[in-house]
Amino acid sequence: MIRFDRRLLASFDWALLLLLLMICGMALFNLYSASYPPHPYGTPPYLKQLYFFLIGFALVLFILGFDYQELHFWNYFIYGFVICLLVAILIIGRTAGGATRWINLGLFNLQPSELAKLMLVISLASYYSRKEVTDGYTIRQLVVPIMLTAVPFLLIMLQPDLGTALMLGFIFMSMTIFVKLRLSVYAILGSSAVGAVIFAWEKLLKPYQKQRVQTFLNPETDPMGHGYQIMQSKIAVGSGGKFGKGYLEGTQGHLHFLPERHTDFAFAVWSEEWGFFGSLFFIGMYFFMLFWGLYTAMFARDRFGMLLSFGVVMLIFWQAVINLMMILGFLPVVGIPLPLVSYGGSSLLTTMMALGILLNVRMRRFQTGQAVD
Amino acid sequence: MHAEKRVTDSGKIMREKLFLEDIDEITEHDEAAIGMLRKRIMFALVLVFFLFFVIISRFWYLQINKGDEYQGLAETNRVRIRSVPPPRGHILDRHGREIVTNRPSFNVVMIREDSFDIDDVLKRLSVVLNEDVELLWERIREAAGTPHHIPIILKEDIDWETLAHLENNKFKFSGIRIEVRPVRTFHYGDLAANAIGYVGSINRKQLEEDELGVYEGGDLIGKRGLERLREKDLRGEKGSSSSEVDARGFEQQELINVDPLPGNDIRLTIDIDLQRVAEQFMEIGEKAGAVVALEVNTGRVLVAASTPTINLEAFIGGISQKNWDALLQNSRHPLISKVVQGTYPTGSVYKIVTALAGLAEGVIDLNTIFYCPGHYYFGNRIYRCWKHSGHGQVDILRAITESCDVFFYQVGLRVGVDKLAEYARKLGLGQVSGIEMEHEKSGLTPTKAWKRKRYNEKWHEGETLSVAIGQGFNIMTPLQIALMTSVVANGGKLYKPQLIESVTTADGQVVEKFTPELVSQLSARDLAHLGTIQEGLLGVVHGKRGTARKVKIKGLTVAGKTGTAQVVRIAQYKGLKEQDIPYKYRDHAWFTCYAPADNPQIAVTVLVEHGLHGGSAAGPIARVVLKKYFEDYLRKQAEMAELEKTGSRG
Repeated sequence: MIRFDRRLLASFDWALLLLLLMICGMALFNLYSASYPPHPYGTPPYLKQLYFFLIGFALVLFILGFDYQELHFWNYFIYGFVICLLVAILIIGRTAGGATRWINLGLFNLQPSELAKLMLVISLASYYSRKEVTDGYTIRQLVVPIMLTAVPFLLIMLQPDLGTALMLGFIFMSMTIFVKLRLSVYAILGSSAVGAVIFAWEKLLKPYQKQRVQTFLNPETDPMGHGYQIMQSKIAVGSGGKFGKGYLEGTQGHLHFLPERHTDFAFAVWSEEWGFFGSLFFIGMYFFMLFWGLYTAMFARDRFGMLLSFGVVMLIFWQAVINLMMILGFLPVVGIPLPLVSYGGSSLLTTMMALGILLNVRMRRFQTGQAVD
Repeated sequence: MHAEKRVTDSGKIMREKLFLEDIDEITEHDEAAIGMLRKRIMFALVLVFFLFFVIISRFWYLQINKGDEYQGLAETNRVRIRSVPPPRGHILDRHGREIVTNRPSFNVVMIREDSFDIDDVLKRLSVVLNEDVELLWERIREAAGTPHHIPIILKEDIDWETLAHLENNKFKFSGIRIEVRPVRTFHYGDLAANAIGYVGSINRKQLEEDELGVYEGGDLIGKRGLERLREKDLRGEKGSSSSEVDARGFEQQELINVDPLPGNDIRLTIDIDLQRVAEQFMEIGEKAGAVVALEVNTGRVLVAASTPTINLEAFIGGISQKNWDALLQNSRHPLISKVVQGTYPTGSVYKIVTALAGLAEGVIDLNTIFYCPGHYYFGNRIYRCWKHSGHGQVDILRAITESCDVFFYQVGLRVGVDKLAEYARKLGLGQVSGIEMEHEKSGLTPTKAWKRKRYNEKWHEGETLSVAIGQGFNIMTPLQIALMTSVVANGGKLYKPQLIESVTTADGQVVEKFTPELVSQLSARDLAHLGTIQEGLLGVVHGKRGTARKVKIKGLTVAGKTGTAQVVRIAQYKGLKEQDIPYKYRDHAWFTCYAPADNPQIAVTVLVEHGLHGGSAAGPIARVVLKKYFEDYLRKQAEMAELEKTGSRG
């Protein structure tokens, strides 16, 4: 039963909630500009995103109602459910004769690969907290987490959605290194990762994916393709200067030079219009949110709480880093959104649920300890 | 483990007990593990901080160090990606003759952002284009609110001279560009216009429905006919071209081109020569109506003519309101595709149904004879035969040949209206055929149940008499009558009529190919009587007293049936001469036939709205179509034979 403890409210993390609201607010504000002038027909993206934000907020409240410990139990269902969705999408995609990443739910299109990221965080956290090892995990003890990662990883590779599959790899790596491995395991994992990359390059990558990497390594080969996108993004950011061109005044974005300006390149629009100090402010808030997440992990009540918060932070962190680096021309275009900022309902809902878990862990940090004091 | 010990009860005592257990179990081992994780979180924090520091430094580098440089780049950043409209697929006739293809249309467009002095440029342009400056300004104002780099069309389809002048004096017109766009061109004028249809600028509703984002404002999209129904095949895929524009708004160079992918070509089953003959002869007498010709053994549509036709050229670049109103108000309804959308009382053509029903239901046989005095009494009313002097002793063959109403009144009465409807449906009437033409009407084969439902009234037997000779509630489309004729001709098979022979991609790959589709087949009992009807129909053309003797063609046996369908029964017009009856009250004229009678190939149905007599108004048109078809057919066979001969010789 949901039983609400007054003390839970007292230890509620208002700071993180405030950060979340501020970042989402600025993101929506930015999205209006990124999709400006509005398309004459249909619901504009910023409004759709606002609806998703409200749904996300309801989900956060819902998640807060339960002790996160219950995730040990629900974990299996969540995992099974997401895997089913991923399989379903392959079947639907095949019958539709092409790559499909979405399931049409009528009101909106659900992208199960987004959910898979959070699902992986929960199941790895659950496993590592139940199988506690002090002197480092052996390779045999890693068989289960590797399998837990490999199944959704392969299903998402088959879609094919390289970016999201790589994210799963990052989450696995971060959380596994976090719980400590035997030295020999690092060597084995490291060398097999290299092997996997070579194998993927030779066998798995589609030509367009290979081209993206090649373009990045040697931009002159494709001045108008992805090299063009990165170039335009850099011009957008750079021309923002110190204080930016002003809201709705960004020329790169509004004159259609900038590709995918309301999804993957949404932050480039922000940078162009608000300049270095605007970007610094936004990224500062973002950093503070991640910092706060790690702080939560540090003082969580138990190992599960620690692992959950750590995983959630890594989930958001890696996406943010990859997305920002892409905008800044450090990385090839891989199609990874900036959580909370890029347009996309599934990504926003997943990120908000993840932050809901973080709030949950933080709120219940004293629940067993307090009485002892 | 902690998980199992979580507090599930609110009792305080219970909880404290648990906490005590907790304390007992918090071992040094746990402390060490937690400590290790905390240390690692510190590492993670350093990593996060470091990467964010790198990112911020990069922002510093791009925006502050290189800011001015990038600002300069952004200002001269005039590389634009434009989509290039694909050429629409061609529409060909069955022999591969091009009916509709594309030609380039040169449009004058303005890109406001690239123009220095819009006012000045427009003034000079108005002289060259011979257009009012105000009108050009109006076009610019209409586009207010759209981004300034989006081209605005100032004038469409300029001629070569204007084009040459503009190109030579480019430097005087900053921001003005010539855009080439394929538009439709019609090699056979307006032939088959209602079936083929036209394209037009995409409208708001269509843009809203375009979920995949294939279209943008100003794109052309099929609006009517096959252009609309086969939009997906015909439209092709857009290409893109990028061009660099200098600070003065002149294009410097094309950077890259992704060629557009042309749409798929559609080859129709229509024979354009045959179609032309049909339409020409309909137009001669300014006849409104329809001509349908089908291959009886496959369901291929050879002719689908609806007159008067629409002028397709008028739709290029959007039809003017004046022309559109004229089309709407035309009393001969050019916008209605009469082949499938026109529903008419069928008159005597329907006697084919009554005859088959009577024979198959066993109410009459070859020896049944009715006496026709020129009228028939039923329920206190007189039902007249068209021949007021009467036909005398009539059997089924004579009844068909001479179209005796009195004979069929009595057959109808004996069969009953519900059975008549059942046979009509077996022959393809009263239901949509599924042909690829828009808004096909199903027509109506009335039954007792239908009338009760529709009017909440009982069926009167007198109405059965009207139905039996194709009057009353009966209405059919010309295509349905053609289908019925094919079923009689080909030995009872109802094929789905089809308009498309094949669909091929621009590089010749066949994506769709015609295959006959059998919808239904007459039962063996019904088939046994088909021969009688065929014989009767042959007599209509070749018999001494047949109603369509004029249709006779030398060297060809034709079987057919005339029909004269009353539009209104108004006593005041009874005494009048035909020419004095107002046009809209004149009878419709039908003729339907197939040939050769002994080995049927083609069925032709002609309907002339208010044409008065089937034999004289509709018959001759069917005749020229048949003649043309068999001339071509025989010539082709001769050629083939010739070819084989030379082939075997070589």
